[in-house]
Amino acid sequence: MSNDNNAQYHDDVVLRLIQFSIFWAIVAMAAGVYLSAELIWPTIDFSQPWLSFGRLRPLHTNGIIFGFGVSALMATAFYSVQRTCHVPLFGHRLAWFCCYGWQLVVLLGGLSLLAGWTSSKEYAELEWPFDIAIAVLWISFGVVFFGTLAIRKIRPIYISNWFYGALIIVIAMLHIVNNLALPVTLDKSYSLYAGAQDAVVQWWYGHNAVGFLLTGGFLGMVYYFLPKQANRPIWSYRLSIVSFWAFTYTYIWAGPHHLHYSAIPEWVQSLGMVMSIILLAPSWATMINGIMTVSGAWQKLRTDPALKFIVLALAFYGLATFEGPMMAIRSVNVVSHFTDWTIGHVHSGALGWNAMITYGTFYFLIPRMAGRELYSTRLANIHFWLALAGTMLYIMAMWAAGVSQGLLWLSIDETGELGFSFTDIMSSMAPYYGLRLIAGLIFLTGTILMAWNLYMTMRGNKPVRVTPPAVDPMYEVKA
Amino acid sequence: MTYFIFAGDMLVMLFMVVLVIWLTAFGSKEDAHETACIPLKDDIDHG
Repeated sequence: MSNDNNAQYHDDVVLRLIQFSIFWAIVAMAAGVYLSAELIWPTIDFSQPWLSFGRLRPLHTNGIIFGFGVSALMATAFYSVQRTCHVPLFGHRLAWFCCYGWQLVVLLGGLSLLAGWTSSKEYAELEWPFDIAIAVLWISFGVVFFGTLAIRKIRPIYISNWFYGALIIVIAMLHIVNNLALPVTLDKSYSLYAGAQDAVVQWWYGHNAVGFLLTGGFLGMVYYFLPKQANRPIWSYRLSIVSFWAFTYTYIWAGPHHLHYSAIPEWVQSLGMVMSIILLAPSWATMINGIMTVSGAWQKLRTDPALKFIVLALAFYGLATFEGPMMAIRSVNVVSHFTDWTIGHVHSGALGWNAMITYGTFYFLIPRMAGRELYSTRLANIHFWLALAGTMLYIMAMWAAGVSQGLLWLSIDETGELGFSFTDIMSSMAPYYGLRLIAGLIFLTGTILMAWNLYMTMRGNKPVRVTPPAVDPMYEVKA
Repeated sequence: MTYFIFAGDMLVMLFMVVLVIWLTAFGSKEDAHETACIPLKDDIDHG
């Protein structure tokens, strides 16, 4: 065994990113709750443009994806890449630049959305100055991550790093290609693509942002933090490698299922549908691999809040990755598209999968960084049940609303006319929207409880200094 | 375009088949296990 490296892991930047992630989670979820109230009582925008649905909605989605999600991904990638490589972060100052630069972009970008600046591309609404800043910061993130891999002491590259690596490379490619535009003023630009091509490029970006950021990146979290918390190696390492490559090759083709029955060529739609269905295989392989990793340690689920969140996240991952391919089938999509079923599907992923795995990871990380027990396991358990109840209520309300909308919109009376008017159908949705508002409030309350619990756990402490251990000479990188 | 896509898909299939064969026939079980155990022994203070 050799251990000539006395440097310590850089966990201070990890802690700061976790704090920002929780902050953005609360802000963006509160915006979501307000939006759900606006759908019941439209006048609560008080005729203020910045409070209108059209401006608050991208604030909600961008805040969750880029504020909460990306901050959590940077934090966990920085934490795990150091440990799986047995070296401190490469470019510690660059990591701090990524951390604060990213928060500045999320803050100013959010304000620009409220001011009405928008490229009108879903999940890519930010205008060109922010697009350039995001590209610079993302490449910096890549330099820190791949630089750390390059100086690693241990030869094998652990599977979580493959997923984080794919996240960084693919998102960089998607972001740059989709946002190619001609700026005309500081707050306005026009896409280089037009018509159907613009739509195809946008959903190539849009769906792969879901694929490589909200799925691939968070799978990196699973592959590192699940074995840590269960204290067992991943059930089948070979299956994880096969599912990584199958996932990577398949996901990139699935975007056109967002454009069924549109002006894009039919074969492109069919390709998107078929690839979406194939995607079920690597998705479920990963879920089964995760669940089987916990097999034999089930008793921990009774007492360990972090593991509870992680395993529940895997269950929701399985649900969302089954539902997605089904909705991509054209004959199902004809019912589901443009309805609240899609919103339910997105939130089974966003709340059930992304938020739960992140919460589980934070419950794992903060006590370790603080070097003390979690402030209140009871509060964490309450949070778990609130998160589960909020998610279930949300998605069931949206399923019921969405299926009703889809079927009613398609219904035709005996004369061949539409059976129901759009406004009649939408006005009958108020009870479901009320349930969604309650569900959102429940979920947000749980998140605030977690913030308090983790704050009390960390209060007054700096991250514990941890030294990389010795590397087995058999697996050591030779100089 | 259909033939182009078909050829691309077949190349991907070929890669996946070769990957599975390589992992099962040439990949050492001990190496896979050792790699899978990386997260379990990656910090001194917190095992």
